[in-house]
Amino acid sequence: MSEPIITQCPICRKQVALGDRHFPFCSDRCREVDLGNWAMERYTIPGDPIDINDLDLE
Amino acid sequence: MSNQVLPTPDIYDASSIKVLEGLEAVRLRPAMYIGSTGEMGLHHLVYEVVDNSVDESLAGHCTEINVTIHIDNSVTVLDNGRGIPVGIHAEEGVSAAQVVLTKLHAGGKFDSNSYKVSGGLHGVGVSCVNALSDVFSLEVWREGFTWTQEYSQGIPKHPLKQAGKAGRKTGTKITFHPDPKIMDAVVFNYDTLSQRLRQLAFLNKGLKITLTDEREDPVKSHTFVYAGGISEFIKHINTGKSVLHEKPIHFEATAKGPNGGDVGMEVALQYNDAYSESIFSFANNINTVDGGTHLSGFRSALTRTINFFGQQAGLFKDVKENLTGDDVREGLTAVISVKVPQPQFEGQTKGKLNSDIQGIVTQFVNDKLGEFFEKNPTVMRKIVGKAIEAARAREAARKARDLTRRKGALDSGGLPGKLADCQERDPEKCELFLVEGESAGGTAKQGRDRRFQAILPLKGKILNVEKARYDKMLGHEEIRTLITALGTGIGKDDFALLKLRYHKIIIMTDADVDGSHIRTLLLTFFFRHMNDLITHDNVFIAQPPLYRIKKGKTEKYIKDEKEFTREIMRRATESLILEYGNATAPARVEGAELRNFLLSLDELEQISFKVERRLRDARVVEALQNPLLRLDKREDFQDKAGMEPLLEQLKASKLDAEWRFDEEHSAWRIVYHDSTNAERHIDLELAAQPEYKKLRSLAKQVGKYNTPPFVVVKGDRRDTLTNWRDLLNHLKSEGKREISVQRYKGLGEMNAEQLAETTMNPEKRTLLRVRLEDLVESDLIFTTLMGEDVESRRKFIEDNALDVKNLDV
Repeated sequence: MSEPIITQCPICRKQVALGDRHFPFCSDRCREVDLGNWAMERYTIPGDPIDINDLDLE
Repeated sequence: MSNQVLPTPDIYDASSIKVLEGLEAVRLRPAMYIGSTGEMGLHHLVYEVVDNSVDESLAGHCTEINVTIHIDNSVTVLDNGRGIPVGIHAEEGVSAAQVVLTKLHAGGKFDSNSYKVSGGLHGVGVSCVNALSDVFSLEVWREGFTWTQEYSQGIPKHPLKQAGKAGRKTGTKITFHPDPKIMDAVVFNYDTLSQRLRQLAFLNKGLKITLTDEREDPVKSHTFVYAGGISEFIKHINTGKSVLHEKPIHFEATAKGPNGGDVGMEVALQYNDAYSESIFSFANNINTVDGGTHLSGFRSALTRTINFFGQQAGLFKDVKENLTGDDVREGLTAVISVKVPQPQFEGQTKGKLNSDIQGIVTQFVNDKLGEFFEKNPTVMRKIVGKAIEAARAREAARKARDLTRRKGALDSGGLPGKLADCQERDPEKCELFLVEGESAGGTAKQGRDRRFQAILPLKGKILNVEKARYDKMLGHEEIRTLITALGTGIGKDDFALLKLRYHKIIIMTDADVDGSHIRTLLLTFFFRHMNDLITHDNVFIAQPPLYRIKKGKTEKYIKDEKEFTREIMRRATESLILEYGNATAPARVEGAELRNFLLSLDELEQISFKVERRLRDARVVEALQNPLLRLDKREDFQDKAGMEPLLEQLKASKLDAEWRFDEEHSAWRIVYHDSTNAERHIDLELAAQPEYKKLRSLAKQVGKYNTPPFVVVKGDRRDTLTNWRDLLNHLKSEGKREISVQRYKGLGEMNAEQLAETTMNPEKRTLLRVRLEDLVESDLIFTTLMGEDVESRRKFIEDNALDVKNLDV
């Protein structure tokens, strides 16, 4: 790879480069916070509004 | 507690020295008294002597201590205290100084009348140092005279004698050389000593301690004196860290202790942006590494006060419980120093203070910290905010651990019940399909090769009742199931790539927006927490077809829209010729050239649609497709004459178009009104839009053939079409003749056989390998997707990247 891959820590937005120890996080703590967010179901992608009458209630 | 010299009125003379024990055993078992005969014990010898001087300072009689390491590794400790008592001790019949230097556990500190507070490293006193030195000399300035005595191995060479006049000078000077017959380490370390002496200087505000090393050339020397006391200690510890508030919080007070004596208490603290705590507690200058009552008192008061103020300021809105001690100590640097008369310690090394002072320390910190917070609400808010953040992180960490530790719906082998595992046990040969939804999961289970293909159905949607919509999410249970099925574990210490149960993890989702969202969720999770899977090429994306084309008994699967159009055009142009232009002498095009023309028209149709959404009038978009118009570069818009034909054409289409000068760009623009009577512009700004540029370039590209009327010649049939749209539609339906087309909205619409055939069977499928580079992008996409701004999200999805195409191998 010619160019280094740089991204931001998903939690604190610090810059992180591929190869850093905690990539793509800046630290173990941010990694843990993120994993906790997944575990607490904090990550959702909002869907489009639906007509409540169209709900297929499975 | 300061170290200003405040003379104690009590008498400190020969009568105040009590004898507790003899000194014989020290040379036999040195480690019992000074910890070891190595480095640590060696330096303790110096500390013992220095502590005697510091005790004088605590009592208010000494302001300066000089420690010198000589070239032969002997050490001199000199202070300007009162000098060790020189009178004859009543019980022992020798000088009090000799008692102090020869009797174990002898010293002023054992009589609470003389020294109010005292430490001493092991409480064994300077007599131990004497016992363990082959050369030891004492010089005392007291009562107007200079007194001296020499020792070797703890045995006096002569009684204490007057050696001269001292005038008003007072003080003690002890020089000793550790006995190499006993000590294994005999070379002093400057840094070790300077660290402890610096600490003592911090703890005893204003006390000047100088360390000199004569072994160095030139002589190395450093003076430690801190007017700010432990506040400066805090600054020293926090050097290079980014602090939450500029000045350390510092307070001190004196209160009556359990046995009536005055207890001096001093606390300094400062928060930094790190996550660890560093708290140093001291009792009578001894670093109580195991804490004790003073530390407990400080901790409980800190927790209580921060909770109280946070509550009062209404900062705990989304914090469920009170902040814990761990929360409020995250990023805390603190020094607690108490000076207690007759302190009680636990353990041989005085690591823990036992004196009953927890109550008064708690009270002291509650009062003073509360007072500080009231006067400094901004700092208070920062500190409370930091603690709240810590509480959140702690909760997240707990939940993260839950992911792997809690047992859930696992079968007897510890695997999730939902997983349809394969028979093969060699991970290298195994594949795991992550399939969205139970029904598609069911189809995949039927279609798989159970020898080496496993299926894990995942639920990726939840009903958000409040917002009346389905949100995409990987629930706690789904993530747990996923981690268990993969077998790798999760988290910084627990993830193990070696335990991966399948070397191919294949994400198989519907080819619609929902499917792409669930794929993004999974990829983001892998990217963040199972990065190794990506770098080791373990993650793939299945490519289910979008269309099935059937003609008679032959069928063909098509993976996307583009390929579909291409296929239709291929069929349409198989056996026809297109005539275009001048009806009497038309030009002709066929084969690949015709096909390319038609594909460009198809693209033109799509881009026209997009441009029309912006310009709100089909007639305008149509006019802009004229390849002869000059409407692209800056100069084009400055040339009114060049734009004239467009204006004419718009007017001819019954649009109220007119000229206007664009001051900002000093160029011309054509202005018209759309059906809602809103003003629209054709100008430089429009020309900069990517959709517009694409439209113009396509229009030029098709220009050569795009001259109606078109005549489609197929055998004997001749169909005439007056514009390109009709031509395109005509040929599209031509291409679809005699075939049946099925468009798959989801995996569920395929039967097991079809799914296996098109998407799962390694012989026939194509998989996209997921690369790390793509996921860096994908992570940013994820962040955008999670936002609540529906419009920017939609635009983002349209413009970007969620497209599987971006993840190409």
